[in-house]
Amino acid sequence: MRIVIFFIGLWGCFGYSQNKETLYDFTDLPQSLLLNPGTDINFDYHVGVPFLSQFHINAGLRGASIYDVFADDDRNVNDKIETTLNTLTSNDYLTLTQQLELISFGWESKKNKNIYFSGGIYQELDVIGYFPKDFVVLAYQGNRDFLNQPFRFSTINGSVELLTAFHFGYTKKVNKKLTFGARAKLYSSMFHIRSAKNSGTFTTVETPQGNNVYQHVISNADVTVRTSGYASLKDAEGKEIVNKLIGRAFLGGNLGVGVDIGFTHKINEQLAITGSANDLGMILYTKDVETYKARGNYVFEGFETPIQFSSQDAQNFLDELEEAVPLDTLSKAYVTMRPLKLNSSLRYSFNRYDDGTCDCYLEGEKPPYMDAVGLQFFTQFRPKRPQYAASLFYYKRFFNFLRTKLTYTIDDYSYYNIGFLTSIHINKINFYISANNLLEYTNLAKARGTSVQLGFNVIM
Amino acid sequence: MKTKKVSVLLCGICILMPLISCVKDVDFDQAEDVVLTPVYEVDFVYSRFDTSQFIDSNINPAIVVPEVIVNDTLSYDLLGTDFVVDNLERVELTFEFRNTIERNFEFDFGFLNDSDQRIGPLYSMTANSGNGEGTDPIVTTEVIILDTAEIDVLRDATRLISSMRVQNINSSLRGILELRSKGTYFFNYEL
Repeated sequence: MRIVIFFIGLWGCFGYSQNKETLYDFTDLPQSLLLNPGTDINFDYHVGVPFLSQFHINAGLRGASIYDVFADDDRNVNDKIETTLNTLTSNDYLTLTQQLELISFGWESKKNKNIYFSGGIYQELDVIGYFPKDFVVLAYQGNRDFLNQPFRFSTINGSVELLTAFHFGYTKKVNKKLTFGARAKLYSSMFHIRSAKNSGTFTTVETPQGNNVYQHVISNADVTVRTSGYASLKDAEGKEIVNKLIGRAFLGGNLGVGVDIGFTHKINEQLAITGSANDLGMILYTKDVETYKARGNYVFEGFETPIQFSSQDAQNFLDELEEAVPLDTLSKAYVTMRPLKLNSSLRYSFNRYDDGTCDCYLEGEKPPYMDAVGLQFFTQFRPKRPQYAASLFYYKRFFNFLRTKLTYTIDDYSYYNIGFLTSIHINKINFYISANNLLEYTNLAKARGTSVQLGFNVIM
Repeated sequence: MKTKKVSVLLCGICILMPLISCVKDVDFDQAEDVVLTPVYEVDFVYSRFDTSQFIDSNINPAIVVPEVIVNDTLSYDLLGTDFVVDNLERVELTFEFRNTIERNFEFDFGFLNDSDQRIGPLYSMTANSGNGEGTDPIVTTEVIILDTAEIDVLRDATRLISSMRVQNINSSLRGILELRSKGTYFFNYEL
């Protein structure tokens, strides 16, 4: 039961997907290469400050907020939980993504100025849990008010993954109009749990003509929970867990491969379109794998006693259930696709800084445009269905040292999500910070999502 | 200088943002008041006594058996785990007898622990006599309520004993006795 409340509570704390709308196509920052390896950047080299070049956290929740349950008003908290429960559907979800860049670097090819290499290592935690509405209702309200209504196992759906990614990318200005890029990734998964595509139902059926008042029916149950990196941690403690995870972080885990690809195409001097696909790849889980699988059908209608005509042996409810819906533990290897992310944008740049006295740009380079506006789209593939977001943005460069971007985003969580990024460049040193859902910042309790990223780089 | 002011303002916003962000108008102490009160309905015992399957009609009706008792014992963990016992507020056991046999039936049940000792009372009820084969059954409903004290006594129950008793049986008796029952479990779980 604690889990139910925890789930609802957690629901309140978070809200967002892996969209980094402020960072996407922000050509002043090398981290934009992680979102689109074909970003039209202009660096000689860059080095991220180790462990500080990018910290990103992105928490999201579709369907409710913490305020819905814990608002300081006169209503009874139990009534509020019930109202929230009734509003949430099994399509609502909680997501949490956290990324930490350990190493980040890049340099312009000496042989060909049009080629830029970039690489690094980052750690990522990715959680998505769909609201298991039917079973939360069963735990919270019971079955009495839901007779003849099926509780669906398909509402159990979610995944947790902790991994590190080692990546190396190549960005090439093919010609004046086209920049293309690709990034190869090697994933080392430390921990993975996933339950998806479950099916079957549990129903309490009224049976006026039957043997007893009801039949409790488990019908075509097929529930699978895949884990890797979990079995060996079950009995481990504190330091041992940390040591094991660190070992797996550096290629000792379950390995996978993937690519990012992307491009920037300048239609003319001021108008550009971009597009990218990230994490097009998969991980093969072979080590420390445990898959739990329960399948079967079962009908329970009480115990026939004291007079038995069916001449069956005395029933043992639990034994029968275990036999009818056996729980198997398998250690067969499995493969999962990484959650593919797609980004695209249309950007119109204007207001070129060109009074001849500017120190905004290096000699020989064209003066930059000070403003840009545009549109961005984001899609992320998730176990149940893709998540979408669309943004309008305004980019503004104030001086050489201050570049900003303001976004307005519509997504699953909200229709008025304002995001902001500030990037400060003093000599080679760069610091950036970005957050979204700014309108909710005065009271995060009402927010359904928020995302923060910040970091330090040395850029030349 | 206008743009400088704007930039200072923006930098200010960006530094202040994490500082001003807060969670207000919420009271997390309410978590202590959260009470879960699910109600579960689960089948209990059932039985069907059809005289035609039980009594040989070729026997002389003049022969009267003064009393027939049928006993049964089966594995039945009424309450399951300590979690259930500790958080159950009430159990209502509802019994419905539908009888067309022209006799009263006495139905008893109780619980045994692992050492086959009875714990808690023996619960007894009577199914009222019916009006004979082909008539509308006489319906008798009994509800037994187990409160927290009784639930605690039955904590170690692992087996169910039951018996059905009927008197003055002869081969002319015709009809059906049906027993259907369910348990309604009222939980009250405070966080």
